[in-house]
Amino acid sequence: MIPGLSWRRHAVDRVTARVVGLGGGAIIGAITLIFFYLLWVAAPIFRPADLSELGAATLPTGSVLALGSNDRVESLYAIDADGRISFADPNTGALQRSEQLVQGPLAAVRLVFPTSDTYALVDEDGAATFVRVWFRRRFDGDVGYLESHVDHLFGGEPLRLGWTPAVRADPHAAPHPWPQFDFYLDESVLRIAVLDAAAGVRLWQFELVDDALAFPRKAEFTPRGTIDRLDFGPRGRWLFTTNLEGGVTLYDIAVLGAATETWSGGVVPDGAQLSIMESLLGRYSLIAADRNGLLTQWILRQGAEGTTLVPARSFEFDTPVAAVVAEPRRKGMMVLDDQGGIHLVHTTSERYLASIPAGLGTPAVGVFSPRSDRIFLAMPDGVLHRYTVTNHHPEISWSALWHKVWYEGYPEPVHSWQSSSADNDFEPKFSFSPLLFGTLKAAFYAMLFATPIAVMGAVYTGYFMAPSMRRWVKPGIEIMAAMPTVILGFLAGLWLAPLVEQNLAGVLSLFVAVPLCMLAFAWLWHLLPARATQPCDGWFAAISIPVLILSAWAVFALDGELERLLFGGDAQAWFLATLGLDYDQRNALVVGIAMGLAVVPVIFAISEDAIHGVPRHLTTGSLALGATNWQTLTRVVILTASPGIFSALMIGLGRAVGETMIVLMATGNTPLMDLNIFQGMRTFAANIAVELPESEVGSSHYRLLFLAALVLFLITFFVNTCAELVRQRLRARYGNL
Amino acid sequence: MPAEAQTDRAADPRTQSESLPAAARKEGWWRSGAPWIWLNAMAVGIGVAAVAGLLGLIAARGLAHFWPADVAVLGLTDGTTMIGELVDVEYIDPASFEQTGGRSAGPIERWLVKTGNRRVNGPDFRWVLATSVAERTFPHDVAVFERTEWGNAYGRIAGLYEDGVLAAHGMHAWDELQSRLERVVELREEMAATQATTIDPVNYQLERLRLERRRHVLKGTPEAPDIAREERLLRATYQEAETRLRTLSEAMRRDAVEVVIMDGRTIIQPLSDVIRVWQPNAMSTFDKLLHYMKSLGVFLTGAPREANTEGGIFPAIFGTVMMVLIMAVIVAPLGVVAAVYLREYARQGPLVRLIRIAVNNLAGVPSIVYGVFGLGFFVYLVGGTIDDLFFRQAQPAPTFGTPGLIWASLTLALLTMPVVIVSTEEGLTRIPRAIREGSLALGATKAETLFRLVLPVASPSILTGIILAVARAAGEVAPLMLVGVVKLAPALPVDANPPFIHLERKFMHLGFHIYDVGFQSPNVEAARPLVYATALLLIVIVLVLNLAAITLRNRLESRYEIAEA
Repeated sequence: MIPGLSWRRHAVDRVTARVVGLGGGAIIGAITLIFFYLLWVAAPIFRPADLSELGAATLPTGSVLALGSNDRVESLYAIDADGRISFADPNTGALQRSEQLVQGPLAAVRLVFPTSDTYALVDEDGAATFVRVWFRRRFDGDVGYLESHVDHLFGGEPLRLGWTPAVRADPHAAPHPWPQFDFYLDESVLRIAVLDAAAGVRLWQFELVDDALAFPRKAEFTPRGTIDRLDFGPRGRWLFTTNLEGGVTLYDIAVLGAATETWSGGVVPDGAQLSIMESLLGRYSLIAADRNGLLTQWILRQGAEGTTLVPARSFEFDTPVAAVVAEPRRKGMMVLDDQGGIHLVHTTSERYLASIPAGLGTPAVGVFSPRSDRIFLAMPDGVLHRYTVTNHHPEISWSALWHKVWYEGYPEPVHSWQSSSADNDFEPKFSFSPLLFGTLKAAFYAMLFATPIAVMGAVYTGYFMAPSMRRWVKPGIEIMAAMPTVILGFLAGLWLAPLVEQNLAGVLSLFVAVPLCMLAFAWLWHLLPARATQPCDGWFAAISIPVLILSAWAVFALDGELERLLFGGDAQAWFLATLGLDYDQRNALVVGIAMGLAVVPVIFAISEDAIHGVPRHLTTGSLALGATNWQTLTRVVILTASPGIFSALMIGLGRAVGETMIVLMATGNTPLMDLNIFQGMRTFAANIAVELPESEVGSSHYRLLFLAALVLFLITFFVNTCAELVRQRLRARYGNL
Repeated sequence: MPAEAQTDRAADPRTQSESLPAAARKEGWWRSGAPWIWLNAMAVGIGVAAVAGLLGLIAARGLAHFWPADVAVLGLTDGTTMIGELVDVEYIDPASFEQTGGRSAGPIERWLVKTGNRRVNGPDFRWVLATSVAERTFPHDVAVFERTEWGNAYGRIAGLYEDGVLAAHGMHAWDELQSRLERVVELREEMAATQATTIDPVNYQLERLRLERRRHVLKGTPEAPDIAREERLLRATYQEAETRLRTLSEAMRRDAVEVVIMDGRTIIQPLSDVIRVWQPNAMSTFDKLLHYMKSLGVFLTGAPREANTEGGIFPAIFGTVMMVLIMAVIVAPLGVVAAVYLREYARQGPLVRLIRIAVNNLAGVPSIVYGVFGLGFFVYLVGGTIDDLFFRQAQPAPTFGTPGLIWASLTLALLTMPVVIVSTEEGLTRIPRAIREGSLALGATKAETLFRLVLPVASPSILTGIILAVARAAGEVAPLMLVGVVKLAPALPVDANPPFIHLERKFMHLGFHIYDVGFQSPNVEAARPLVYATALLLIVIVLVLNLAAITLRNRLESRYEIAEA
């Protein structure tokens, strides 16, 4: 303690130091928190999945044909060959209740509507009964009970169509039978396809009217070659026939009676034999596995040559594949190998997510829980093996984010961003490439517009302009930096975009005609006697404004003539015909101008400071040595100020990359990868602004948007750090001069 | 100095090109760099013209909106009439006109007419070819009806009805209409007052009681008997107020006016839906000026109607101001403390330099990134935790775990923190060492030096920083879209219900209002002038704040120049 200081003053001093230190530290900590928090939210998307065993239990019933559970896995049900459904505790296997659905024995049970637990129970006479299993939570006060229900659909009567279910046992991969029939059910239609030794393929269709089957229709056709299996394609409109050699034929059965073959080919390598055939959620793709452990996803492709099947990607396993089970709500699957190992893979991201060596032998039935957080395998002896899965973001991988991905229904691999859709079986398309491309495209056109204006303006203002004018011009342009960008965006979208569209020829001519007019004026000016022009030195900027306005007005007045002269009367049609450039009203040109205007003041302010700050003795020295003003400018001033100008451009670029509102309002926000100046784009920033409010917290989409923010953060941080380092070097250099 | 140098050069006869032969002169002109100097000058010209042009465009369009435009009666060649405001004139190219089947030698003139009365006429706006207009008159008796729904109506007053019985017609109808409209306006104000003073607070109290009851259930404690009693009382008050409202609205529907609109059709317009009536063609310039001021007043103080495309923007102004004020309260002390720490307390070294670079860089991080952070961290993490701890009774409806005013203010405080830090630091750097050392030498402690000397001397730059921060926050939209702004907030964040300031509420914002009305509204064409007016207001606010900051900075600079001298 300093002598003579009262304890109170001393305490105040200490407390202030403590508070300031704490506060300062906390704020700096808060600032770094931004980075770490974004990272913390985004990081889980790259985490591998986790698959671990929960133990075994015994099911209350044997010979299980179908398994399922409620959403939160509080109740498990098994449908057995006797036509009985048993609800059991998923942890212990203890029976909760059971119900006889139909008189057995059943030949097969097929899941016909995966998202709503609807099954077709087929008995040995080919009579099909449709049931839907559902759960409901009942509240008694604050205590909830889970109720399980089974509804019989279509009046409950079995549908007898006079066919017998032939199940051809696969001689190699027993006991997995290949059903020679398939069902398709949605909200409006039921379709049934059956392979009949005598009649070929038999098809039935019913329409659903008030939950009853109506308008029955029937058809038959003779398929090509031998067939061992039938599968419906998407929306029940397509039918695949498959044989053991891997020969698949695709039929279009949009009109039931007019099945037309659209494609035929082999889905396994030559000489290999097909062992597994399964369709993924939505039935847009088929998973075919051969006996060597090669699994291939075949995608239904709509192309110029009609609808065909194409191999999109393959997964390789060391041992032959015994079964494939598709996830109920995603485009992932579990692959069971013949050693009893379980592997989780996801098609879109081509990720091998997790595997576990189970060593159990082949199960009778394997299922995912509805949320894919549990896996249940029922062994033929009635033992239930349970696994827990932590697999929240299987559809994301680093390569899928940046490289082309072959999505279902697409004719070729593409870069695409499409995060949501109304369909349940939609495959989300998460590629950052179009967003990065759009971000850079917008920034590029903005910089293209802003750089000449800002830098040249800074050169004139910093070096030539009369001080009395500079005092007004500099803050005048700088104040534009404070202009809310939402206003620029609004003007760009609602005023500039229609203006450019209507006067395209005029606007494009402006970029050439105005500088030319300026040069012509400069030439005339120079012809004037020096005595008359001399007092105007340093005021050129003011003099140029009327010239600018007059020439721009003239160009606009001549817009119609120009359009006829240059573009044969219709500029947009001309660009489309000659250069193949589509025209979109809200395009990169508009964004370039609007965002350019937002960036100009930033670049202008910093580079003007740099130019104006070039030490006086350098310029006067150069002038004294006989260099002209222009020579001094280009060889001394700009060179000395170049790091400052560079730093200004970097900061301008940083601003253009992260600008949100202008891009949001002045483009159509379509995620295209197209350099065309007359097309819009979607940038990272605009994408976040549009999609984040609707995104589900914790979903892959949500985390990806955080990753996008992190990418944006890193880009601008990098660019700004570069600029800052350059500026510091510049400062050190000037210190020496 | 460069300008002076140039003057010197110009005075020097040897550098003058006049003495050279013509060819060399041309060559010399090009090589002298003069064309480039002119192009550089042009760049400045473009910058200045763009600034002035933008401001002029917005000001002209924004201010023109409130002027009561004359209403034209157009007699068309096909015998029909059209009544409306002439909004725009356009010339279409004969070539594109031919595509639509017409034929013309020169450019075709066409007018955009705001015919209003969406309910009967369909779209608000129509294009009409100038050639198809046989006559254009501006009769004095055409009136404009501003209505609560379906937009303006234009037409002549035929008669006034009371309870379906003709009360006045002809000349008297107009005067009678004015006095009856006054009555309707009074009734409307009374209804609004009942809503604001009785219904809204009662609803608020009822919701509070519901939560109270739920809290007891969660805790397992028996509910206090006065809850039920209070609830009964409130419901009785509510019933009473509702009856009152019903009577008032009944009374409002008493009168109706018969209007002959375009094409000679007649509509019966209940006065209950009419806000104002005026006859622009009969108004003098002074009347129009009065009307203009009144419209401007309504715009600034009124609430929006018709999906924000009509009425005023008061809630948006209020929301913006509230958000910015709360932000300033947060950012000012924190930013100053951080700057004082960096400049006065921290040991200057590479670490502090690094922090300084980081702070500078943060000023360049896109605002949307702050929005993302704000949504994830403040709203879901902090807000969600607060809900779990203190607002269990309201769940699953979130209280603080949803975007709201406080989170928007916090996010923007973080966003503008670098501005305050940099500006404050600048001010602290300017203070000569001698001042600090003098104070310490006289026996003051470091804290006393800070509070009595350093901070007061630096206060103008601190203030500059805060003003710049406020200006930036007022114009920022992108992060707000994530953390609390809505297109239409049901209630202001400040009202008469305790605790009076409701930090968790969502709010409206001028910038977002521009985006929303300009791009998301169903009737963009009709709303556009309103957007220009809103934009003008926002620009004025931001520019005034910036000018204040610049002035302050200049004064500060001159003060220290004197001090140093």
